Amino acid sequence: MQPGALAKALKSGAIWGFILLELIFFSVAGEFLSLSDKAFMDWENMLLLLKQSAPIGIIAMGMTIVMVNGNIDLSVGATFAIAAIVLLDSMTWPIFAGLGDWVIPVAWLLALMAGALLGALNGLIVWKTGVDAFIVTLGSMLGYRGIVFMFNGENPTSHLNWTLVDFAEAQFLGLHTATWFLLGVTFAIWFLMTRTVHGRNAYAIGDNREAAVNAGIRVGPHMMVNFAIIGFLAALSAVVFYSESGSVNPNDGQLYELWVITAVVLGGTKITGGAGNVIGTFGGVVAIQLLRKGLGHIGADTSTVNLVIGLILIAVLFLDKQLNVKGKEELKI
Amino acid sequence: MKIRTALAATTAILLAGVASAETMKIGITQNNVGVDSYQTTYEKAFIAAADANDAVETVVLDAGGDVARQIAQMEDLIQQEVDAIIIWPTNGEAVIPAVRKAHKAGIPVIVTNSNIAEQGFDFVKSFSGPDNITQGARSAEIMCDKFKDMGIENEAKVVHITGQPGYTTAIERAKGFEDRLPEVCPDVTIIDTQPGDWNREKSQQVMEAFLVKYDDIDGVYAGDDNMGVGALNAAKAAGRDGIIFVGATNFAVGYEAMAAGEYWGSIYQSPVDDAEAALQTAIDILSGKDVPFLNYFDTPKITQDNMGDFTKPVF
Repeated sequence: MQPGALAKALKSGAIWGFILLELIFFSVAGEFLSLSDKAFMDWENMLLLLKQSAPIGIIAMGMTIVMVNGNIDLSVGATFAIAAIVLLDSMTWPIFAGLGDWVIPVAWLLALMAGALLGALNGLIVWKTGVDAFIVTLGSMLGYRGIVFMFNGENPTSHLNWTLVDFAEAQFLGLHTATWFLLGVTFAIWFLMTRTVHGRNAYAIGDNREAAVNAGIRVGPHMMVNFAIIGFLAALSAVVFYSESGSVNPNDGQLYELWVITAVVLGGTKITGGAGNVIGTFGGVVAIQLLRKGLGHIGADTSTVNLVIGLILIAVLFLDKQLNVKGKEELKI
Repeated sequence: MKIRTALAATTAILLAGVASAETMKIGITQNNVGVDSYQTTYEKAFIAAADANDAVETVVLDAGGDVARQIAQMEDLIQQEVDAIIIWPTNGEAVIPAVRKAHKAGIPVIVTNSNIAEQGFDFVKSFSGPDNITQGARSAEIMCDKFKDMGIENEAKVVHITGQPGYTTAIERAKGFEDRLPEVCPDVTIIDTQPGDWNREKSQQVMEAFLVKYDDIDGVYAGDDNMGVGALNAAKAAGRDGIIFVGATNFAVGYEAMAAGEYWGSIYQSPVDDAEAALQTAIDILSGKDVPFLNYFDTPKITQDNMGDFTKPVF
């Protein structure tokens, strides 16, 4: 066994071990504490779990590649809300009145484009100014949210289209529409990060930006593409979710950035960049939703969810640090 | 003897079994507990009322203001096969598809505090909450009675500050007030109406403009106490005394202004009544009783005269 291999295996497996622990705990505790006669591990319940993971999960895949870059995007929640407004509002625009239900794909496309553009704008600013992504996207988080409030004040923006709702509620091969999107996005980003030059460059830049520049990687445009991807995915998440609910409050998507980052970090991505993968992120997303669902199942107070997730996050980072230190020591010998 | 006790024991167990099978499982998903003390008090009162009732078991959830979480909670409650779901909508339209899911699963849905949009009415058994039209009408009565006491019911002039345009609560309260006032005090005139957007500062500006525009104002009706106190501040700053202020949804600030003798009256809306009414509506529906679609709980008048009967609002 190579030095550090055990640590590596432990690290990448930690999130799945944690999920297993949650499943066992909630199944056992559910027997005693839940009002429901159904088991927590009920097949239907697990399918719902995947579906409910989709809004955070789709964005988290984009966040993984951005964080592997050594960047971060705090504006995803606001982008999510803007895309939702574009989606729902554009369906009522008079120019599309003649399209009937064909307005749906048009509205989807517009929302996705809006998201990708807002993301690319973040990337462009990071690229051209050299300001840290944390600061840039902190600014755009506030700015984009401002646009949301300018659009319709404090009022919700609504358009309920039952065709769209039926599509979003549909189940194909047992899986909900939202689940298919989550799985599709996970696969696409996995492919991008492990099988393409762009993906390899992402790790190289996150590991050592100067070395990457010296190696001839065009760091600026690369990062801009990744910001466009996360903007697109934030919009996709909104499109999938609001197809099923048809009304957006101006503060929707608030704190999503924090849940997304939590999921990504739980999944083993290093906040300093250079390491991480979408499979781990998928685990992180499922772990959070499982915790929310499970605590609801056993009748625990909803506010305990945040406390528990916070504690686990710190525990995971602590464990990660311990394992890393150990790995390096072994290398020295 | 032994056999008899054994028999008694088994019967007791059987009875207990039957009893537990008959308990009603009621799930509630709330809007955003902790964001204001109305909602916090509501949750406490709901849990207390459920604990006091042996026939009821509850799953109490909070969406934290997040529509996605509320929809997920609806799905979870459906999946857990509860007998009824109470929902305090985070967004009156976004939850309609989730409510339809519960309806399709055969679970009665009760909407509490603020109703969902009309498109969703087909999927809802009952709405439990305040009757805003009656609240508006009662505010009109409070104002008229005070004018009669003062002997100015034949010439009094009133300005009206409404809530945010487009909000059902604002529209209904305004309608209730404007319909009722001519019935009880036909000679009182409403000289102007402007929105204060539920906002104290906005309402203060509206009132400042009114005070400049009109030399004679006898009464102010505001859509809630928050705006009423804003208007009161404007009048105090301008040194205009003797104006009768009437609001709705008695806030702590309104209660204090009443205690200080500056604010005449309001409508008392208790989160405890709100929570207990929602639970009772769910229980009545599950017991097969006839429940009206709009199932209002009482929101009494409160004025300087009877404010001692009410505790100070927590919000």
